[in-house]
Amino acid sequence: MAATSIRRRFGRSVLTVAAVALAATLLTALVTIAGTARTKVLSELSKGGPLSGINVAAAEADPTQVDTDDPRPGPPKDLDDRVRAKITAMADVKSVLPIVAAVVNVIVPEPPANAEVLARQPPLPDTVATTTSTPQSTTNATTPRQTVAGLKTPDPFPETMVGIDLDRASLMPITILSGRLPVPKSLTEVAVTQGYLTRMGLTKKQAAAVVGTEVQLGAPRAFTDTGQPRRFRSRWVRATIVGVVAQETAPGQFIVSLEQSRAARNWTSAGSDAEGRVQIPTSPYSGLFVIANDIEKVNQVRRDITELGYSTSAPENLVASVQRYLRVVEIVLGAIGAIALVIASMGIANALLAAVRERRREIGVLKAIGARDRDVQRVFLFEAGVLGLVGGIVGTALGYATALGVSAVVNGYLAAQGLKGVRLGLPLLVLFAAVCGSTLLALGAGALPARRAARMPAREAMEAA
Amino acid sequence: MGVAITLRGLSHTYRTAEGPLTVLGGLDLDVADGGYAAITGPSGAGKTTLLSLLGGLEQPQIGRIEIGGQDLNGLSGDDLAAYRRATVGFIFQHFGLLETLTAAQNVELAGTLNGTSPAERRARALELLHAVGLADRAKHRPSRLSGGERQRVAIARALVNEPRLLLADEPTGNLDDDASVMVIELLEKVRADHGCTLVMVTHNRELATRADQRIPLDRGERAFE
Repeated sequence: MAATSIRRRFGRSVLTVAAVALAATLLTALVTIAGTARTKVLSELSKGGPLSGINVAAAEADPTQVDTDDPRPGPPKDLDDRVRAKITAMADVKSVLPIVAAVVNVIVPEPPANAEVLARQPPLPDTVATTTSTPQSTTNATTPRQTVAGLKTPDPFPETMVGIDLDRASLMPITILSGRLPVPKSLTEVAVTQGYLTRMGLTKKQAAAVVGTEVQLGAPRAFTDTGQPRRFRSRWVRATIVGVVAQETAPGQFIVSLEQSRAARNWTSAGSDAEGRVQIPTSPYSGLFVIANDIEKVNQVRRDITELGYSTSAPENLVASVQRYLRVVEIVLGAIGAIALVIASMGIANALLAAVRERRREIGVLKAIGARDRDVQRVFLFEAGVLGLVGGIVGTALGYATALGVSAVVNGYLAAQGLKGVRLGLPLLVLFAAVCGSTLLALGAGALPARRAARMPAREAMEAA
Repeated sequence: MGVAITLRGLSHTYRTAEGPLTVLGGLDLDVADGGYAAITGPSGAGKTTLLSLLGGLEQPQIGRIEIGGQDLNGLSGDDLAAYRRATVGFIFQHFGLLETLTAAQNVELAGTLNGTSPAERRARALELLHAVGLADRAKHRPSRLSGGERQRVAIARALVNEPRLLLADEPTGNLDDDASVMVIELLEKVRADHGCTLVMVTHNRELATRADQRIPLDRGERAFE
């Protein structure tokens, strides 16, 4: 009967549904956009890693700086398996990921970048001179070699390779800009950072151009035999660059497997320090990346690690304050949508009150043939619920489509800025809540008219007939 | 099978802007089980109020109403609704059909409220429409039916739950003479076939003479013809 009534008053029903749909559209779009923006901002803050990540340095802690996001580390202090086990056993610690850094010499063979890929990328920055390529054999140590038009191939340089557990790399603050990470345990694959691109005279937009090129990494070792002159030898590996990343785990332009960096360290450690010319690492780990159970637990975990005597850093204060601001933004946007829904629900109430007035005769007939008050009430509530449900479904779909459109525009802008775009997820909870919310609000709005209809005295209603 | 009606000292007053308006004043009345009573009288005599009270659309204020041995005085809203559903069949001057529903759906409606299964209601509606000679108009909406046909649909609807008391408020008030005769003959046939008690409000003296019992009212009291 309610369905027939909706069909009969089609124009009014469509307008009422449209009001609910518009409000649901606004609410869904705003909440989805706000949620996505929140995720994006927090992801930027955590550099792609978990928000509850803590960097533990192989250095002594300054207890006065435990509340500082990025404190100055003290003198070196070895981080070994015993300390790692202690941290792993701490309450509120989810996982502990090792970081092993090693100093290496780097040779970039020619070509330093894929010329074909580079040709498809945005133009090189003006600061890089566009000259023709020059054979490597004719270069000297002070003049960069030109092998790809507009690109300089750097001379051998010292750098740091950062070994991480690639099986659990997704838990670390590493964002892939192009390509991928090396496969776990690989000794022939490497990912480079933006610093490497800068060294090559490239920007983030040209990151793809170095993927697939090679690099030679040599761990140094000093041989000091009694009565013999000091000799230096390196353990060279040729690796393919498989990706470009932004990473904040530890300083270093090369991300490799733990096995690769350990092999390099072991090679270097087996030699002498050549009177300070070679840095011999003593700490088994350069650092640890600790993930707390929750952002709220980060401070406590940092305090516990500080008690062990190690320096920690985590963007907890920054994340907390940004989260507060984002929460305010979400509340404001949600409130705007909610106000729209309330206005729409008033429209439903108004439409139903008009329907009650128009249908006094119908209500009277229903009561005369035996309808109870709640039967009459149910008819009007059903009508309100249908209007709210249809409006909610249509509006939620439109809202999500709007959010997709906005994200496409935003991604276009971010791409033009050389930034990674946002990926709009399917916020099922938001969509479900919007549909349910619209329906419930419509039922709430229909409650008064339905009650009025139900309480209409049967005799009065009959007189209208 | 019908019901016996007993009214004792029935008074009813409405509150109006101009003050209390008594429409029934100490009315006593008896209608036999299966009887046929015609209530007549001028406008404002209390005819429709009496019908409303008999049909359980209003609760009596003063006096006692007993329908088939059931005292209506103490019944709550839901109990009165159940009484209307199970015992009473209403027929209105303006037919009281819902324009959004077909003739068959209008007839089915009473069965819907009674909790009858859809298949059973559909069969019952078609059976009743057949009985009132409108089987071929089952899918027509009221707007496509003549006045007499609409009233016959209304009669069919009133019979869905096999009421023991039929209350007709000016059932021929909006019909021409031929249609009026057809409707009255149908009502009388229904009463004879089902054995229900029929109480009809009418202005038409000729129709009133067909009833077993005439109840003339004037200003809320029994009048004498």
